[in-house]
Amino acid sequence: MVAPALLHAALWIGLPVVAAVFLAFTSYDVLSAPKFVGLDNFRDMFGDAVFRKSILNTVVYTFFTVPFGMALGLLLALGLNAGLRARGVFRTAIFLPQVTATVAIALVWLWIYNPRNGLFTTLLSIFGVESPAWLASTTWAMPSVILVGIWQGIGMKMLIYLAALQNLPKELYEAASVDGASKVRQFFSLTLPLLKPATFFVLITSMITAFQSFDQIYILTDGGPANSTTMMTYEIYKSAFREFRVGYACAQSLVLFVLLMAFTLVNRRMMGGTRGHG
Amino acid sequence: MAESRPRVSPGRVALYVTLALTSLVMVVPFVWMVLTSLKTPAEIASEHSGLLPSHWEFGNYVDAFKAAPFATYARNSFVIAISHTVLNVLVASMAGYALARIRFRGSDLIFYCFVAALMIPTYTKVLPEFLIVRFMPLAGGNDLFGQGGSGWLDSWWALIVPGAVTPFAVFLFRQFYLDLPVELEEAARLDGLGEFRIYARIMTPQVKPALTTVALLTFESSWNNFLWPLLVTRTDSLRVIQVGLSVFRTENGTHWHFLMAGTTLATLPMVILFLIGQRYFVQGFATAGLK
Repeated sequence: MVAPALLHAALWIGLPVVAAVFLAFTSYDVLSAPKFVGLDNFRDMFGDAVFRKSILNTVVYTFFTVPFGMALGLLLALGLNAGLRARGVFRTAIFLPQVTATVAIALVWLWIYNPRNGLFTTLLSIFGVESPAWLASTTWAMPSVILVGIWQGIGMKMLIYLAALQNLPKELYEAASVDGASKVRQFFSLTLPLLKPATFFVLITSMITAFQSFDQIYILTDGGPANSTTMMTYEIYKSAFREFRVGYACAQSLVLFVLLMAFTLVNRRMMGGTRGHG
Repeated sequence: MAESRPRVSPGRVALYVTLALTSLVMVVPFVWMVLTSLKTPAEIASEHSGLLPSHWEFGNYVDAFKAAPFATYARNSFVIAISHTVLNVLVASMAGYALARIRFRGSDLIFYCFVAALMIPTYTKVLPEFLIVRFMPLAGGNDLFGQGGSGWLDSWWALIVPGAVTPFAVFLFRQFYLDLPVELEEAARLDGLGEFRIYARIMTPQVKPALTTVALLTFESSWNNFLWPLLVTRTDSLRVIQVGLSVFRTENGTHWHFLMAGTTLATLPMVILFLIGQRYFVQGFATAGLK
């Protein structure tokens, strides 16, 4: 009974991965047969200033969307866990962007960032502030993209934290209260350590998502202006489907994979090898 | 009223205000989207337009349908999302069941392969996946060696088959089947039921939360998918709604009123599904996170 799923995975995951590794060492334009070029692709890649820029951008984007989103998600989860009325309404509102397509979200934000009469420009003009051309400015494009990333991803982080908070053992908190530990003390000595598995999970999944951001870049900035928002995924897409350098694109995707693995392992070390249970 | 509720403290009020403001920030872009979709192009172009449309232009939706084949895009997205949902629930539950409940040689190895598959980034797979589709033997005018034609490109096959079964669903199902009591299975076996019937009649009805979770998550990611349909389709008749939207943007400048009408239409099914299935959605995401 496992055969259909296994066959599917072998053809659409196993074979592609093997092929990607193989093609990374070739020069291939789809039309003629792949030609073995050794490490040329990798050498070209690190000589390519735009690709280096895209690695930096990917790291910057991840660095800002993930930790900030996680902190906000945790704070909101703590708020929602305080036994409020109407928390279902809040939870729904905060989670809504998560179920919406990134393309749709990016289009709406494209309109919000519109420098002539978008929502931001209109709001700022009320306070007499002149807004920059958000997405067309090399200074503001990246922060604008990051803001959308944080906004969209918060719901998921909040939800996982909320689920974890609801599973925490109440007896420990009762005991801590009896011992006279303050709420703040309880948070730092009990809640945070107990949330470690959830934190690790949120961190890893958010990082994988952030590293692979594509849709929002495609819609919002096309990687511009002057490559200020291009990401590794966007460069891979460009190499493969605009320049037809498939071997080169495969090599780039391997670098993405290796970086992701390295980040995951480092995080795991730093978190003391915690795993989610199960 | 503050008097009627004894537990109102300044901290609690602050919490309510913070959460309400956050919720507002999360919802405003959607409201702005709907409001823009109801404005006239002239009002959108004007620098002094307020938040609310001065004239509610519901005709935008009708016109948007005429300007771009949104009905076709939406139908395509539905067909693909439904196919993915059905296939994933069916195939992944079978695999999950087998991995959790049947002892056979190599089952551990197979399970670890699925776990490994979970960790591979989309971008490492997407180019070779595209090539497999492009060079699919004996399809779209290709010969036995995949040469000559365009393979599965621009076909339902390419849109449906590669993404149909996800390792994540296999993994999730396995976890759920593992939790079921052994007695159930043993009783069924004593009654002389075959393995497939035990799976279909006895065990699967016990994992309804897993079925709902996988179904909702699959539908969501399929409906929201953008890159893959963008890569494998060229003709308008096979475009899905997310790709249709992005194509709409570049046609002689951007018609914001149409675009926001289209975006509202593309967003609506997911929002409705989310609101109806909220309990399962939330549970599903949370379980998916912590299992």
